[in-house]
Amino acid sequence: MISWNNNALRDVLKEVDYAEEIYKCIQCGMCAGSCPLRHHMDYPPRKIFALLRTGNIDLVLNSKSIFLCTSCYSCIVRCPRGIHVMDIMHGLAHYAIKMGKISRKNTATFGQEFWKQIYKRGRVDEKDLSRRYFFSDGIVQGIKNALSMADMGIIMLLHGRMKLLPEKPIKGIKQLRIMLDKAEQESRR
Amino acid sequence: MEATNQNILVVGGGMSGVTAALEAAEAGYNVILVEKRPYLGGKVTQFYHYFPKLCPPNCGLEINFKRMKQNPRIRFFTMAEPVKISGKEGDYDVTIKISPRYVTEKCTCCGKCEEVCETEIDNPFDFGLSKIKAIYLPHEFAFPMRYVMDPSIVGTEEAKKCQQACPYGAIDLDMKEQVFDIKAGAIIWAAGWEPYEANKIEYYGFGEYKNLITNVMMERLAAPNGPTDGKILRPSDNKEVKKIAFVQCAGSRDENHLPYCSGVCCLASLKQALYVREKNPESEVTIFYIDIRALDRYEDFFTKVKQDEKINFIRSKIATITEEENTGDLIVEGEDTHKGEQIRMKFDMVVLATGLVPNTINIEAPDVPKDKFGFILRDDVVKGIYGAGCVRRPTDVATSVQDATAAAIKAIQSISRR
Ligand SMILES: Cc1cc2nc3c(=O)[nH]c(=O)nc-3n(C[C@H](O)[C@H](O)[C@H](O)COP(=O)(O)OP(=O)(O)OC[C@H]3O[C@@H](n4cnc5c(N)ncnc54)[C@H](O)[C@@H]3O)c2cc1C
Ligand code: SF4
Ligand code: SF4
Repeated sequence: MISWNNNALRDVLKEVDYAEEIYKCIQCGMCAGSCPLRHHMDYPPRKIFALLRTGNIDLVLNSKSIFLCTSCYSCIVRCPRGIHVMDIMHGLAHYAIKMGKISRKNTATFGQEFWKQIYKRGRVDEKDLSRRYFFSDGIVQGIKNALSMADMGIIMLLHGRMKLLPEKPIKGIKQLRIMLDKAEQESRR
Repeated sequence: MEATNQNILVVGGGMSGVTAALEAAEAGYNVILVEKRPYLGGKVTQFYHYFPKLCPPNCGLEINFKRMKQNPRIRFFTMAEPVKISGKEGDYDVTIKISPRYVTEKCTCCGKCEEVCETEIDNPFDFGLSKIKAIYLPHEFAFPMRYVMDPSIVGTEEAKKCQQACPYGAIDLDMKEQVFDIKAGAIIWAAGWEPYEANKIEYYGFGEYKNLITNVMMERLAAPNGPTDGKILRPSDNKEVKKIAFVQCAGSRDENHLPYCSGVCCLASLKQALYVREKNPESEVTIFYIDIRALDRYEDFFTKVKQDEKINFIRSKIATITEEENTGDLIVEGEDTHKGEQIRMKFDMVVLATGLVPNTINIEAPDVPKDKFGFILRDDVVKGIYGAGCVRRPTDVATSVQDATAAAIKAIQSISRR
């Protein structure tokens, strides 16, 4: 369904940081081409921006693409127009949650699922990536939700581990678990 | 009234500089032209064919050189560049530096020196795709037609050997750098462009992958006097290229690199696609583009190229290029933005259509208005120094020639109105 909704677009521009940059997009495809999750997105970032520009806000807020971003920065670094692609995607995810398009409860549940996987293998399998759909603010927020853990150092470490590799435990999984247990204890205090 | 110097100095001997010099001289003005390379003609001397007519650049160059030889009002220096400009409109003092060539005008191009020379250097004319002896003729149509010795062998036994081999006593190993001042009433800066350095686009891996080349290198691969005698063979194994890709806007229209459109690289790739198709009828070409910029009369050229079914156009700014182990083939990935699909395709060789960076005024000189990329603006407030050709904007030869003619008129007006 195509719907033109000018007011809704105005709200997006107001609520989402850097959203005004969508007008700079030249639809070149570099962002999706550089994205490690490109095969999982229903709309690549450039389409998200084009949809916004044409007022199709609902399609955008219901798109799973905006929840998939893992904050790898590739799109930001490479976008020839210097658009903050990643920040806009995150902003849209936030906004979608705020607008009630995705429930916090789901985010938390799936965050816990995801967390178990990390604990078991040290990384996430590609098959399970759709779970990230429910991570409102990318992985970082997802894990935060799951564990209400504030130790950013550990989270960043995890983040670096999110490689799309086979379902084998990573090397040093034991140490990782020790660290995670520690982090969990800390967060429960 | 102050005396106005009636000389016009032209910096750069490419198509723009040569044209400006000829137009001014043929209108009766004295011209001094300085060219950094050991020969005149600039970039186009390295090209196989010109778009859109696909004729070799040499005919046009030959005509111009003939006009130059016939005109006593032009004095030109090769291996020469300005190092400082001072003064004002009508009265400039310019310091010129000439690097030693070590070969005098007695040289007949017999090639005896080259025969005995064993040291080899990267051939600058082929962008390093071939080696050349350390005493060499820059290229077969070089004007002036004279050998050059690379400074790296000066002072060695090798240099002496070359000197002894010359039957005409044309090698002078004591030649020194010369620096002198000249006076000029007006200056035309026609120093052209350099290709954008492709290794700066780190996600493409230029310099790492042998079969990833740039568009200027492609001109050399196609040229009969190039490293492969005009056969399009890929660098890693000299295999004839069948599947080839052109990646447009490699560094251009990109705020991380050159934010502007380089204007001619689309046309250059269209032309080079025809080179490949003409030389190997079994070849297949894919051009990855954001949009094809073939304006005005060049639209017909684009239409003609599109008619070839073996030339495939995909709208995509390529995101990554990787090398396949063992084969040296290259894998190109991006998003086909027309189909909305992710693509991953394999090629024998990939050409990066790199853009043009202006050789702007980079020495101590009176202020000349430039844009933030260094392109010289033609501003009627500041008079006396005029840009011509690709230092003003990235453009084709025909436009450079027109622009150079306009610059010659500006320079003439500048010295005549005073
Ligand atoms: C891959 C490619 C293919 C192209 N093919 C075509 C084509 O088929 N047809 C077409 O019309 N156009 C083509 N072009 C565009 C064409 O190259 C330019 O229009 C042309 O070179 C402009 O001439 P110019 O004299 O302004 O600059 P240049 O050719 O760059 O000449 C400038 C000269 O100045 C000299 N110089 C530089 N600095 C100094 C200094 N400080 N002191 C003294 N001398 C100096 C340089 O050595 C050079 O000889 C192509 C461009 C590219 C990138
Ligand atoms: S890389 Fe930038 S300009 Fe290109 S499509 Fe994506 S957002 Fe638009
Ligand atoms: S001429 Fe074509 S390839 Fe070159 S920068 Fe412009 S659009 Fe890109």
